[in-house]
Amino acid sequence: MQYPDSISKLIESFSKLPGIGPKSAERLAFYVANKMKEEDVLNFAKSLVAVKRELMKCPICGNLTDKNPCVICRDTNRDKSIIAVVEENKDVIAIEKMKEYRGLYHVLNGVISPINGVGPQDINIPSLLERLKNDEIKEVILATNTTIEGESTAMYIAKLLEKIDISVTRIARGLPVGGGLEYADEVTLLKALEGRREIK
Amino acid sequence: MIEIKRLSLVNFRNYISLDISFNKKINIFLGNNAQGKTTLLESIYLLAISKSHKTFKDKDLIKFNESFCKVTTELTKDQNQLTLNVVISNEGKKVLVNQVEKRKTSEYIGVFNVVMFAPEDLEIVKGEPINRRKFIDIEIGQISSIYIFDLNQYNRILKQRNEYLKQISQTQKIDYAYLDTITEQLSFYGAKITSNRIKFINKLNKFARNLQKYISSHQEDLYINYLSNYQLKDNINQQQIFQLYKKNYQRDIIKGVTKLGIHKDDIRFIVNDIDVSNFGSQGQQRTTALAIKLALIDFVKEETNHYPIVLLDDVLSELDDNRQTQLLDCIKDKCQTFVTSTNISGIKKELIDKSDIFVIENARITKEKGEKYGKQ
Repeated sequence: MQYPDSISKLIESFSKLPGIGPKSAERLAFYVANKMKEEDVLNFAKSLVAVKRELMKCPICGNLTDKNPCVICRDTNRDKSIIAVVEENKDVIAIEKMKEYRGLYHVLNGVISPINGVGPQDINIPSLLERLKNDEIKEVILATNTTIEGESTAMYIAKLLEKIDISVTRIARGLPVGGGLEYADEVTLLKALEGRREIK
Repeated sequence: MIEIKRLSLVNFRNYISLDISFNKKINIFLGNNAQGKTTLLESIYLLAISKSHKTFKDKDLIKFNESFCKVTTELTKDQNQLTLNVVISNEGKKVLVNQVEKRKTSEYIGVFNVVMFAPEDLEIVKGEPINRRKFIDIEIGQISSIYIFDLNQYNRILKQRNEYLKQISQTQKIDYAYLDTITEQLSFYGAKITSNRIKFINKLNKFARNLQKYISSHQEDLYINYLSNYQLKDNINQQQIFQLYKKNYQRDIIKGVTKLGIHKDDIRFIVNDIDVSNFGSQGQQRTTALAIKLALIDFVKEETNHYPIVLLDDVLSELDDNRQTQLLDCIKDKCQTFVTSTNISGIKKELIDKSDIFVIENARITKEKGEKYGKQ
């Protein structure tokens, strides 16, 4: 038996989401059809459209925003001499939660990965270089992930900035705070050791 | 001392359910072909390495039409009791030590080590270079999770680089800053892996040389030579390797593939000044394969302070009397050993007397004397 057209379309839509396979998509679609209240479905549909129509990428930092420029870029109290370069929007949220960082951001929207067809020009690197022409900026913090692609991307940006008079730093890797050495795996421990610093 | 006391399988390959206890150092699994003898060794191998030696697809280990499989062992390590679990299901693989899940293989590997002897060992000596690299990688990986990490990083960046080289030839556009970046990363891991492989071969050399002499009654002198594709004499470092890659940029770009690197390394086994892989006699090749495997037992002991568990998959009947004796001398009283065989008549009496025999028929086990398999 074939599914009714509306159900198969919904299944197809759900399976376009990351982490949702055909089985999960099917489960979600039937949940919507059988269990969800019409009001909830309408709200869901509205928010789906809204995030696409009302949100945009900040033309300065690339972060997702409903204002142009975004709240962080327009905030006059922030330290405009530092930019943290991150992979995704959710990394901005993570750093913001800390409430300690007062600088600006630059969201790359991905990492360089030829296997996935993403070259250096396909992520927000050109706009970063453009931003750095501003003399106000003194430091760039490369806060991409510690995956091999995150490392390549950080190293690549560092290379591009070699001849520019801006300090370029990379976030540290190592032990989780409050964790004992005995619980760390060998690779993390090695990185912590390599990244040790003098205290005397 | 490490000893497996109990092994249980659920839905593992052709086993629905199995639970066996071991009391002796030497345990022989007897039975005809395709009854499930090797599967038992495979399950022990899986517990040690978290991978099968037969397949790289974990799901192949699940019994047909079942949704999961589970392998459990209780073992003693010095005075400690340990329980290890490997569960494979649709959601992937879970490994547990004393019921605590270990999310990273690096936290799991090395609880105990195994050295497996199988008829395929001869391929390490006679076969293609990839067999020798696989041998090295598995054995270093057993004692160093950092090595596994480095190797995974290397392979990943190699894949990225090859893809990028392909894209260069398609688009005719080159971003040298990016090519430099991934080449630096490749050089970094390439240097680390090369040094570790050379270190490993040097250690193995020391043990294997004595063993080869011993097995051949002082007739054969073995030397293992590591052939690094970088061909650097000494002082293997990232900068030097990076320069080598840089010299070959044009070649790599034209070919669209990375020609240089640890993925092209090889080893040579030299016996009495000849390359035994290509010019050795059948006997010399067998002795070499045996010597390097036996050398691993000493190597594991030196690195981890514990002797490994030894798995002998259908090899005893292939070894002549003399080689069997050498093998027995090496494991005697040191390593708990699991042996599979179709017939007991090819196995030395000395070993049989010390062992428990389990007869395996159609994925069922009986502990018995095994008369019909040749035991008197």
